[in-house]
Amino acid sequence: MAASMASKLFRAGARSTIRKVSLFSNGLLQKGPRRNYDRHRMRYLKEMYQKRLDAGPEKPRRRSEWINWNYDAEIYAFGQRLGEEFEESTLRQAFINRSYVEGEKKKRAELGIDIDAVPLQLDDNTEFANEGSVLMSSYLKVYLRNIYPYMFEEGISAAHDYLTTDEMLAHISKHIGCEDLILSEEFPTSSATLSTTFKAVVGALFSDKGRERAEQFVRDFVLPQLIETDINELWQIVNPMGLLKAVLVLSGKGEPEPRLLWKSGANTIMSLYWVGIYSDKDFIAKSPGETILIAEEMAAREAIKKIMKTEDSRAPLVLGAAAENLKLDYERVNVSAEDIIRKYYGSEDPQKNTSTSL
Amino acid sequence: MANNAIPRDFLKNVLQNGMGRYVCQLQRITFRFCKSHPGSRHMRDFIENHLLDFTQKNPGVVVYLQPRRHRPPSIVAEFLNGRRESMEMMRKEPQEICKWAEYMRGRSGVQIVNMIHNNHTETPSTQGIWHPFMFRDSETAVAKFPDPKYSAVRETGKTATDYVLEEFNNKE
Repeated sequence: MAASMASKLFRAGARSTIRKVSLFSNGLLQKGPRRNYDRHRMRYLKEMYQKRLDAGPEKPRRRSEWINWNYDAEIYAFGQRLGEEFEESTLRQAFINRSYVEGEKKKRAELGIDIDAVPLQLDDNTEFANEGSVLMSSYLKVYLRNIYPYMFEEGISAAHDYLTTDEMLAHISKHIGCEDLILSEEFPTSSATLSTTFKAVVGALFSDKGRERAEQFVRDFVLPQLIETDINELWQIVNPMGLLKAVLVLSGKGEPEPRLLWKSGANTIMSLYWVGIYSDKDFIAKSPGETILIAEEMAAREAIKKIMKTEDSRAPLVLGAAAENLKLDYERVNVSAEDIIRKYYGSEDPQKNTSTSL
Repeated sequence: MANNAIPRDFLKNVLQNGMGRYVCQLQRITFRFCKSHPGSRHMRDFIENHLLDFTQKNPGVVVYLQPRRHRPPSIVAEFLNGRRESMEMMRKEPQEICKWAEYMRGRSGVQIVNMIHNNHTETPSTQGIWHPFMFRDSETAVAKFPDPKYSAVRETGKTATDYVLEEFNNKE
């Protein structure tokens, strides 16, 4: 920051020098080319450069500290930008953080104003945030369960948790323009506050326009963040072969049988093994790995992906205009991997729960 | 300048814009001008005759006018991703200022750099990339080489030599 300011100073100096040169070359002040350079100016600019470095970087300021700032216009534009018709009062409330209300109260107390006589009439966004959070959570799960009907409930929860982390919601909140509008004591705004504000905006929309519109808002802004992320990576499976075995046996098929398909470069650092998994002599999945054990585990993961129908060739998420007529089953609950494992391994001895070796 | 010092990047879509719904990425735009200096003549003309059209078409963009005494006219665009771009408007006619305002409205706000490719995807292949084992018979994994089965000369049908010999014999 300081360096860029300093370079700006330099440039300003250079510009004025050029102007002077052109004045000279006009022949108005001096004939012929200029044969000196401005040593004093150089010294002055160096001094200013050092001063700028010593002063350090500019301190961060709120956007509202600048002269071109109109909160009413910004609030109006926020709704227009997102294509939503908010009530102005609810939208304003959605941006009021609790710390701001407390700060205002403190200021009044310091000024000696009686709060009972002149009430503050400021409500914070906590209630909206809670409503929005509940709505968003439930809708995300419903949507994901309907889009990935074969995915285990744990996978759905993992994707939901990924989408509702403070960092993710803060990222969305920043990119729809909440950051400058938030009224809060803290600055720079933390990701927790940004995330709360986003939830509050969802809650405000819910109270203004109803459930359907708020759900559409969540679908349009939160769910697209799953694009370009591998949904299978979000859920950490500890023992994929154990799970695969339970699933196959409970669905009436034979136990998974790993087989070495090909190998190359064994005993080198570039070793490669391809392991395939068969059940009742039917091929299920195959995967490469540096060692046989890694390849086997990866093949088991690949098989679970196939069972969940979330391979790389899965259909894209239904979003935007295509999602407007989406029929969602709100009561749907997917199969839980934990239930399957309990059902299969619960009665038998726990030693079975180890990965089968080749 | 060295080639690796010039910023290059992949194509980016801010917040997956347009996948759900489209949001104009221009957050606010400030027109800075002088009320009296002739340098700001075109900017004043633009403000009088064209600015209202721009604001009516784009209600989601906050427009500010900032008079600055005896300073050159410029526009400052602030985008949703937090970037801010300013552009000198000296000696630009009202029509041209209209175009630059439209240009700012249509931008994503991402810094303009060299594109590594004109398209970008995180999933280059949905069917899996090719590998040397892709179409190989898994039976070869257990075979012990040299194996007579895999060492046998493949039957390829009639060769060019066979054809020439046949023709020759027919002539005789």
